Parts: sequence; C-alpha cells; structure tokens
Amino acid sequence: MTGIAAEYMLEVREVTHTYAASRRWRRPAKQDNVLSGVSLHIEEGTCLGLLGSSGAGKSTLGRVILGLEPPRAGQVLIQGQDLYKLSPQARRTIRRDLQVVFQDCYSAVNPRMTAEQIIGEPLSNYESLSVQEQKRAVGELLECVGLSAEDMQKQPYQFSGGQLQRINIARAIALKPKLIVLDEAVSSLDMINGAKILRLLGELRAAFGLSYLFITHDIKAACMISDALAVMDQGKIVEYNDSKEQFLQSSHPAVRGLLDSMLAEHPRNRHRELPGLSDLSGDSAQ
Amino acid sequence: MNNLSSRFKGKRVIMICGSLLILFGLAGLLAPWISPHDPIRVNLAAKLSPPSWEYLLGTDQLGRDNLSRLLYGTRISLGFASLIFAASLGVGLLAGVVSGYSGGWLDAALMRLCDGIMSFPSMILVFGLIGILGPGLSQLVIALMLVQWVYFARMFRNMIVSLKERNFITAARISGSSPWQIMSRHLIPNILPSIVVIGTLEMGWAIMDISAMSFLGLGVQAPTPEWGAMLNEGKSFIRNHPELMLYPGLMIIMVVASFNLLGEALSERYGIKRGS
Repeated sequence: MTGIAAEYMLEVREVTHTYAASRRWRRPAKQDNVLSGVSLHIEEGTCLGLLGSSGAGKSTLGRVILGLEPPRAGQVLIQGQDLYKLSPQARRTIRRDLQVVFQDCYSAVNPRMTAEQIIGEPLSNYESLSVQEQKRAVGELLECVGLSAEDMQKQPYQFSGGQLQRINIARAIALKPKLIVLDEAVSSLDMINGAKILRLLGELRAAFGLSYLFITHDIKAACMISDALAVMDQGKIVEYNDSKEQFLQSSHPAVRGLLDSMLAEHPRNRHRELPGLSDLSGDSAQ
Repeated sequence: MNNLSSRFKGKRVIMICGSLLILFGLAGLLAPWISPHDPIRVNLAAKLSPPSWEYLLGTDQLGRDNLSRLLYGTRISLGFASLIFAASLGVGLLAGVVSGYSGGWLDAALMRLCDGIMSFPSMILVFGLIGILGPGLSQLVIALMLVQWVYFARMFRNMIVSLKERNFITAARISGSSPWQIMSRHLIPNILPSIVVIGTLEMGWAIMDISAMSFLGLGVQAPTPEWGAMLNEGKSFIRNHPELMLYPGLMIIMVVASFNLLGEALSERYGIKRGS
C-alpha cells in the first residue's frame, strides 16, 4: 500500500461520469454529466449519509464506487488503491470488501433460489468451504440478521419485505466486507421495519467494523445512522459536513428542500422554522 | 366465476392435448413392435384394398399397409421435429444469452444477422437452402434449423436484456460470480419455463414444415413413410381413394392442433408470449 498518512477506507477523487445520449447523425452526442467532480471520503468504521432527490446522481455514484461502471474521469481509492487501475486478480480480491444492499429487496434476489443459495453465492465464489461448512456459515449469517437457520430452505416469496431485506444484508456481510453501499436500503420498507433494519445495520457495524455509504432521500434515516452527511444535487456535492448541527444550518436550496420535505411530528409544529436535532435523533423513529 | 371456468377449460385443454401427444409419442416410439406389417414392403396383389382384419386401414397403391405407414410416419414427424426444435433451441439459446448479456458490438452483429434472416419469408429461405444442400431429410433438418434459431435467439435475447436490469444480476456480479456463472445460475433458470411453452408451439410449426416440404418432394424421400410424402403419393388417387390423403392429413391436423392448443393453453396459464 502507498504510504499516504491519512488513508481513508474509501476516497472518491474528482469523479465525473456521463451517460452518452444516443448519437445523432454527424453530430456528437449531447453529454449530460451525471456526476461532475465529486469528491468524498469515508473513514474506517464510519457511515456517510449521501442525501439527494431522485436523479441527483446518488445511485450512479454508488455504482461507480462498487466497481460496476468505470467513471469518465477521476479516481476511486479503496484503502489507497485505485479500484479501476488494478489488475483483474487484484480487483477481484478488493471487490470482496465492497458489497451492496439495494432498495428493492424483491428484485435483488433470484426468485428461483432458496435463502441458502442466495446467501451462499458469495461464499461459494470466494471461499472454498465444504458443503457442511457453508451450510453452517449461512445458518450463522441468518442468525446474525435476526432470522433463524430454519429459514434456509425458504424461497424469496415466502419472506416478507423486511425479512427479505435481512437476507440481502446477510448476503452483503457474508464475506466480511469493509464497505457496504446501502442504496436506499430502507426506503421501501414501512417505518417500523425500516427502523428495525437501521438498528440491525448499526449493530452489524459495531460487530464487524463495517463502513457504510448510506444513500437515501430520507433525512431522518440518514441522521439516525450517519456520522457525516453529504448532499448531492445535479451531479455535484453541494453540502458536506461532519457535524449535523452545522448541516441543519446550511442554506443551500437542495438542503433546505430536503429539510422542508420532512413532516413534523405533529401538525401544530409544521410552521416551525427549523427542525431541531431532537427530530433527527434515533429515538423518534423507534 | 368466469375466470374460474376459463381456468378449468385451460386445464382440460392441457390434459387432453397432453395425453394425445403422449399417445402419439408412444405410437411413434413403439412403431416397430405394434405395426402389423412392414411399412415399405410392396404387395401389388393387395393394392388399394379396403379396410379388413388383415389391413385395418386398408392398403395404398403399392399394397403397403396404411396403418403401419402412419405409425412409422409418427416416428419421423415427431422425431425430426424434436431434433429441429432441440438444435435450433440450443443455437438460439446460446446466441440469445450471449447477445443479451454481452451487449455492445457482439449483440449488434448477432441481431443484424437475425434481422437479415428474418427479412426473408422463412419458406423461401428453406427452399433456397434445400436448393443448395439438395433434397433429403437431413438437409431439410439443417435448413429448418438454420432458419428457426433466429426466432429463439431474438426472443431469448430480449428476455435476457430485461432480466439483466434486475438487481439480483448486479448483486451476483458484486458477489464475485463470473459471467458464465451468472448465465447458468441466474439467467437461464429464469427463462426455462418459457422454453417449455415456446417449445410446444415450435414443435407444431416444425411438423408442418417437414410435412409441407416432404409433400413437395424436398424432404423425406420415397419409400420412407412420412405424412407429407404420403399425402403427395395419395393425391393421384383422390377421386377413387380419398382415404389415402385423409389419413395422413388427419394425423397432421391432430398432432399440430394438439401442439398449438397445448402451447396456447400453457402460455395463457403462465403468461408467456411468443415472438419478440
């Protein structure tokens, strides 16, 4: 590893990305930058909440960080190593440290597989375990996420949304990764299940020393779990702050929009100028 | 209520057509043991004889037993239709999955090839290929296979493209699965049910094609018994002995109709549509 003094778990440097529109006859395609000059970093064991409205480029950034889409320009450094400049073998090794949990838990699992096969997939790809060992590992993972080892033979349609999201989390932690991208991981769940999953994620972070990139448009959920917050708007990071108090004072329209979209706990509070920190602490969502 | 009765009807169609086809399949398989006579032995003394205990469905213009020829014909029709189906399915599945999964120039090249083949009426293309390869059963199988695979390829490619967008494929990539593992573990198992449905419809087409080409003398050659060829041989006797055309015609209608009805019922039941 290179000897950079402060080596972040993840560092994104000036990443720019474009989806080329279909090329017109004799005219170069019009290019819209989905990401323009995005920089951020996540320290080991912390969680960065990445906020923004739909189309702000949050999920694209997630895909770039996961190594799924080489960006047009810029670097993605995982513990100081440039993800897109590694040899295929080295990249395969580093990729096991990067996992993902998607918003739509139903489409994130193959409908024809059992829970055992779903969670066992990364294990069978990276670890050479015997059948018995893998079965035991999957059982332990199921218990880690609050399900029972007896659920192993069930298929996705036999689980509820919250349970299925737990299966997705079990798959994501199967390889003991270092960074998990949570792409709207609780947005499709109801409040109660969402809060439970958030608490589970917090416990797992403590237990396995995980770092999270928590992509969401839900500012409450982001504040519950994150150590630092960033807001994206039209492909740029417009607000980036380690302190939630300062974050709440920000005057950028995108931040204000997110804050204004929050419903007050009681209608009589809805004209209050600013949501206080108490609204954003974990207690209210439980 | 309405929905219930139509579902029941669908189930009944599947039962009836399915058992009919199993019956035809058994008849073809067991033809050498259950046929009362040798289907190609000529017996001019008994030519064009009416049904009797000796010849249950009578004999043709060369004194060959009609029933035995029909049974052996089942063997040819179903056997070679399955062969065409299997071969074009294999090629089409491979091309479609590779094309849909890889995208890019390979996808574009394969799909333009499919466009090229599909832009000809398929019969004309089969004529052309037979013209190059010469008439005969194996040539016919090759020609039909070369024409049919594109429809499979196009369909599977479209299914793969829509499956590929689902998150579990991305999750599998992140889990470290190779493209080959993704295809065999995730993509192909998810399109298998539609293969059954498309397969039944395809079999009907293949049987029609074999019979049509044999009727024209471009497929199965005499004296091999085949329904289309039998229709062709019987057509000179249509005035006095219409049964020579009636029997093989009925067989074709029954088998093809069973396959098509079964395919329709299955696709309605499982919500799978044919074509791109």
